Amino acid sequence: MFSLSIIKDTVAVQPSQFGTPADEAIIAEINKKYANRVLHDIGLCITVFDLSQVGEGKVRYGDGCLWYKVVFRMVVFRPFTSEVILAKVKSSDEDGIRLTMGFFDDMYIPAVYLPQPSAFDPNERAHFWLPDSEASTSQQLLDSPVAERMYIDQGEVLRVRVEAEDFYDDEPGPPKMAEGVKVLREPKRAPYNIICSIAEQGLGPVAWWSNAQQVEEDDDAMDQG
Amino acid sequence: MEVLNPRSSLLSNYEVLTLLQELESTHLQRSKAAVRIKKEEEAAGAPPTHTNPIPDISENIRTIQVEAIQYLTSDHLPTASQTPNGISQLVKDLSPYDLTKAEKLQIVNLTPTTPVELYVVRPYLACLTTLILMFTLTTKIVEELEDRLGDSMDSILTTVETSLSTKPTTANGTRDRAKQPLFLKDTVGAWDDVDADAIIDDLDFMDHGEGAGIEGDLDVEDD
Repeated sequence: MFSLSIIKDTVAVQPSQFGTPADEAIIAEINKKYANRVLHDIGLCITVFDLSQVGEGKVRYGDGCLWYKVVFRMVVFRPFTSEVILAKVKSSDEDGIRLTMGFFDDMYIPAVYLPQPSAFDPNERAHFWLPDSEASTSQQLLDSPVAERMYIDQGEVLRVRVEAEDFYDDEPGPPKMAEGVKVLREPKRAPYNIICSIAEQGLGPVAWWSNAQQVEEDDDAMDQG
Repeated sequence: MEVLNPRSSLLSNYEVLTLLQELESTHLQRSKAAVRIKKEEEAAGAPPTHTNPIPDISENIRTIQVEAIQYLTSDHLPTASQTPNGISQLVKDLSPYDLTKAEKLQIVNLTPTTPVELYVVRPYLACLTTLILMFTLTTKIVEELEDRLGDSMDSILTTVETSLSTKPTTANGTRDRAKQPLFLKDTVGAWDDVDADAIIDDLDFMDHGEGAGIEGDLDVEDD
């Protein structure tokens, strides 16, 4: 889930920080620049792990800062494909489920990666799974007795497998003008999205598998056989 | 900015949690010390000096720290009850099972205690077990093999459980002890160092902060 990335950069230490030890000031400066931000094709930066190389601080013409060339290691959140992680349900809609991990919440389970057969219940605003059901259309599924449905409610902890990741690097670009009227920009895409799946044995709400351990094992055998 | 190596090594959840908690506790100590020094100065009747003697912790790092610690210590994750010894023992014990690095990492992070949980991490091991189970219905020869694989699954689970059961929670307290005197000295130093009007007039600060600050930073850190 987490990994270390080695990054090289030049950081400026403000004169107001000259009183603190250089390494602390540099780490604070790097954290200010990177922490909680997504680096394209790298992942979400958490914090500096350590400094591996620091050059001598140089003063440049024009400001009073000390500029350091630094090579440092950064703790990065980037789960690898097929990794299993735990996340909470943030919200659900017809297209799928959005998950959150607290510090990261651009994780989605599209409807195709839900256990089949499943459907979205607009009254409950939640998806549900009907195990061992013959029904295939969402109409049939929604006619099923409520007691048989296994809902994936908001706030529930899910065990999910990472299927894909998308990085978007949308540059703001110049404002688009059409005949003197400013065109509204499209809604911003999140820079880093993770697509997850729960369409597998053992994945999905943790409670399903810990409560119904015995039942599940039977299911498992049936599915495989 | 240049990325030299996007993934130089993998980190377990526990390592990240330890790092973040360490940062958190130094931050707490610092802000406490800063408040205390301020109070002392006020009590001594000194005029209020500048506000921030420590390198300012920016908003974004605080946010991610707090949120990540919250996630890693939540009760559906085992991270809070792990110990460094337990983890290294677990990794050692897992070596005979011929698992890949990623699988070991996930076993450490998720600590599966039931067959389903392990199945998720290692589908193919579990698949083999079921496949062989199907075969055993027709042929008797593979039965032993099935037993062996079933055993290995069970023994991995026991290994994981033993690594969790030893959980002394004292690890948190001991970590920052070494750092404390050092930083206290630093903070006090920073207070003495900077003039009262430095924060008000930036230019002024730069003028006489430059020489002294650089000297202190480059030679010995004894300001």
